[in-house]
Amino acid sequence: MPDALLDKLRATVGTQYVLTGVELSPYVIEGRTPEAAVFPGSVDEVAAVIGLAADAARPVTPWGGGTAASVGMPAAPAGLVLGLRRLSRLLEHEPGDLTASVEAGMTVEAFQTALRGRGQWVSLDPADARLATLGGVLATNASGPRRHLYGTARDLLIGVTVVTADGTVVRGGGKVVKNVAGYDLPKLFVGSYGTLGVIVEATVKLRPLPDHERLVCIPFDRLKDAGAAVRALLASDLIPNAIELLDAPAGAALGAESPALVVGFDGLREQVDWQCAELTRLAVACGGREGRPLPDDTWPRLETAARAAFPAAAAVMSFSVLPSQVADLMEQGAGGARARGLTSAWAAHAGVGVVRAAVGSDVRPKEPSAIAAVLREWREQARAGGGHGTLEWAPLAVKSQVPVWDDPAAAGRIMERIKAQLDPRNILNPGRFVAGI
Amino acid sequence: MTLTASGKRDLRQELEAILGSGAVLSDPDELLVYESDGLTLFRALADFVVFPTSAEHVSAIVKLANREKLPFVARGAGTGLSGGCLPTEGGIVISLMRMNRVLEVDYDNQIAVVEPGLVNLHLSWKVGPRGYYYAPDPSSQQACTIGGNIANNSGGPHTLKYGVTTNHVLGLEVVMPDGEVVWLGGKTRDACGYDLAGVFVGSEGTFGIATKIVVRILKKPQAVKTVLAVFDEIDRASEAVSAVIGRGLVPAAMEMIDHLTIQAVEDAFGCGYPRDAAAALLIELDGLAVGMEAQAERIVAACREAGAREIRTARTESERLLLWKGRKSAFGAYGRISPAYMVMDGVIPRTKLPYVLHRVNEIVAAAGLRVGNVFHAGDGNLHPNLLYDPRKPGDEARVVAAGAEIMKVCAEVGGSISGEHGIGLEKSDFMPFIFSAADLAFMHRLKDAFNPTGLCNPGKIFPTKKSCGEVGPVAYRPHPIEEKGLAQRF
Repeated sequence: MPDALLDKLRATVGTQYVLTGVELSPYVIEGRTPEAAVFPGSVDEVAAVIGLAADAARPVTPWGGGTAASVGMPAAPAGLVLGLRRLSRLLEHEPGDLTASVEAGMTVEAFQTALRGRGQWVSLDPADARLATLGGVLATNASGPRRHLYGTARDLLIGVTVVTADGTVVRGGGKVVKNVAGYDLPKLFVGSYGTLGVIVEATVKLRPLPDHERLVCIPFDRLKDAGAAVRALLASDLIPNAIELLDAPAGAALGAESPALVVGFDGLREQVDWQCAELTRLAVACGGREGRPLPDDTWPRLETAARAAFPAAAAVMSFSVLPSQVADLMEQGAGGARARGLTSAWAAHAGVGVVRAAVGSDVRPKEPSAIAAVLREWREQARAGGGHGTLEWAPLAVKSQVPVWDDPAAAGRIMERIKAQLDPRNILNPGRFVAGI
Repeated sequence: MTLTASGKRDLRQELEAILGSGAVLSDPDELLVYESDGLTLFRALADFVVFPTSAEHVSAIVKLANREKLPFVARGAGTGLSGGCLPTEGGIVISLMRMNRVLEVDYDNQIAVVEPGLVNLHLSWKVGPRGYYYAPDPSSQQACTIGGNIANNSGGPHTLKYGVTTNHVLGLEVVMPDGEVVWLGGKTRDACGYDLAGVFVGSEGTFGIATKIVVRILKKPQAVKTVLAVFDEIDRASEAVSAVIGRGLVPAAMEMIDHLTIQAVEDAFGCGYPRDAAAALLIELDGLAVGMEAQAERIVAACREAGAREIRTARTESERLLLWKGRKSAFGAYGRISPAYMVMDGVIPRTKLPYVLHRVNEIVAAAGLRVGNVFHAGDGNLHPNLLYDPRKPGDEARVVAAGAEIMKVCAEVGGSISGEHGIGLEKSDFMPFIFSAADLAFMHRLKDAFNPTGLCNPGKIFPTKKSCGEVGPVAYRPHPIEEKGLAQRF
């Protein structure tokens, strides 16, 4: 990186907020070291930094808590890491409006703690809440088990402020829970992986904290039967806030020795009690055993249950399929891995058809092509039912054989046109996302 | 571009070759039916109105329009309230009313695939016998189409708990503005790549024409409880809205009906609202039967604390439906007390309700008009209905001016200029109240990615050049009411 650019960056954000050399080690992705890491302290500084990067044609990698830094292909030219940790203020919280505005670098945990103090929460429960920032969660569309009832970031984000690829500050949506003025920019930015703009502020819908919440684990002898119980549960009058289906290896990581159905309920105590009793009745009729409550600290471990089955997973893939296909995908996928001499662990947000699988780390020999072959097979299974798969984590050697992102088909051309319109010089996370964007 | 008489004849033949006879209108008398939507202040005539029955039809029409450089716009039932489906620059109106089938219902996965011309309520009728329904419930749901709901991202009373149209759409088959047929999203929950289905919903017909729509259907709740809280002062009713939320409750719906509207509704339907009330809140809870009483008690307590003079609970389903009839038929009921009205649509943070309702009354009084308020109080979505007499010179202009003032108040308190009716033609020049030139320029670039020629529903959403020089290729055209000196743009 030219010294002149570094000097300008230092003049913009302050010398101590521009890291270079060995200080960059936390920001190395897939062995690629950025040229600098810059930590602006205000929206205007973010805009100035992006403006400088754009003028110098340096790629920019927005960075929140770094929890999803390895998702996607790393940028070929390393460029600048743009850290948002200094933008971490809660800007506005009016409990009567059930909304809050927050800077993008605030961690999910800090945000929830502030809200909880006033009887509310944002219904997002991604993994790594202690590190993950709200901006990062929005940009990667991260979610957790409670998405079953409360939806994902797209359902909660009502306003967004971004810095665009030319360093302009742009706002979309607003601060009110219902709003159709202008195009829905919040939807555009959720899950866009920092390729269209850098999220700097967000306004989200909140919910009142429920009186009670309980998580129940029902062991099954066969995954197939647990899948049938999910269907019965979805067709019932019950209103669970989470429906998790775990195979034996993923279940073991949570203390269940067999395939398990884990279901969450919230509401008034009498509602939770009644639903737990109904659930047991319904699950036993499908071949489940007596349910038992799980401790509250199980909640944050559900999102990563598949990966946690192994000391160090060799690859993690997630799938979006129809809820009715979940149990089949899990069984067939695990069978496919076994046939290739690989172990796997599977966990799903079964009610919404989001499945996650990890390949075991006991692969011998650690041959990327064997792992790649099974990942391709899994993805084909998801695609055959109209779904798709994303390679959430794998070493570069595997990623180079299996595309990280699925093929978006004809819609990919529209995505390319959007990227070309909004980031014509291709400086925001170039090459990281779908369709080579 | 303007068509010559012979050019128009030739084009009619080509359209009939695509669609068959009986599916193309070009006679001015027949076109007149399609000159406006539910907002009759604005009118514009198309050269053709066509009735496709398939995505292939729509694609062929769009390709033809592109060849001829003719603008085109999709139209559903025409119940829109912002002039969004008007052919402001002539061209082709593509009516989707003959594409009205439910193509597939998958109860296991709780989704349905429908055509855009399907009437909203008809989907709930279709899946109702199996215990399901389609949640977004605009007040026009007996007539409006799901395609139109997609364009406007329509809401309704129950969106307080269940969200608006976009929260219930998983994917769409779309005829792009160049005629290409593309799927955005699909049947599964998470998009592959950008959330194009999410971006498309609410784009007011400027990103293309949806020809198939995958929506979620929900299980009907086990129990429903509806209460009517009656207030002697409108401020007390406004405060009760925040009080209910403050008690940690999110009702399925929380609607406010003011004194004038109660008069109209009682004259028309006799729904049992107390005529002397200053305002009433219609609050509905739904969910599990267990705990319903306990939740209702919290609501009643919150309303009493805020000063409700009386709280009634619907004891039977027919009592419940009667209360809802009063709410859902309020717009029609205004006909009893005024020859015409214009419905406004603005959103404010709900804690600002008392202040904003005062300001609305002041503005309307200063304009020498009357206003009836019936709206989604729970999510702060106001609908002041300005009553007027179109035969009285100057009334229409005063309505338009007062409407703009009300929108400014909504913007000033941190709200929005539309909660569910869309920007369309009506409010395009109000966009700078809430968006900067940079915001609008960014949105226009997004539009260019979908609709680079601008032929797909031109003249909507973005301010005219008169008021905002930076934006867009949209040419300013005075509306007939402006030409007659009845109104001016802002």
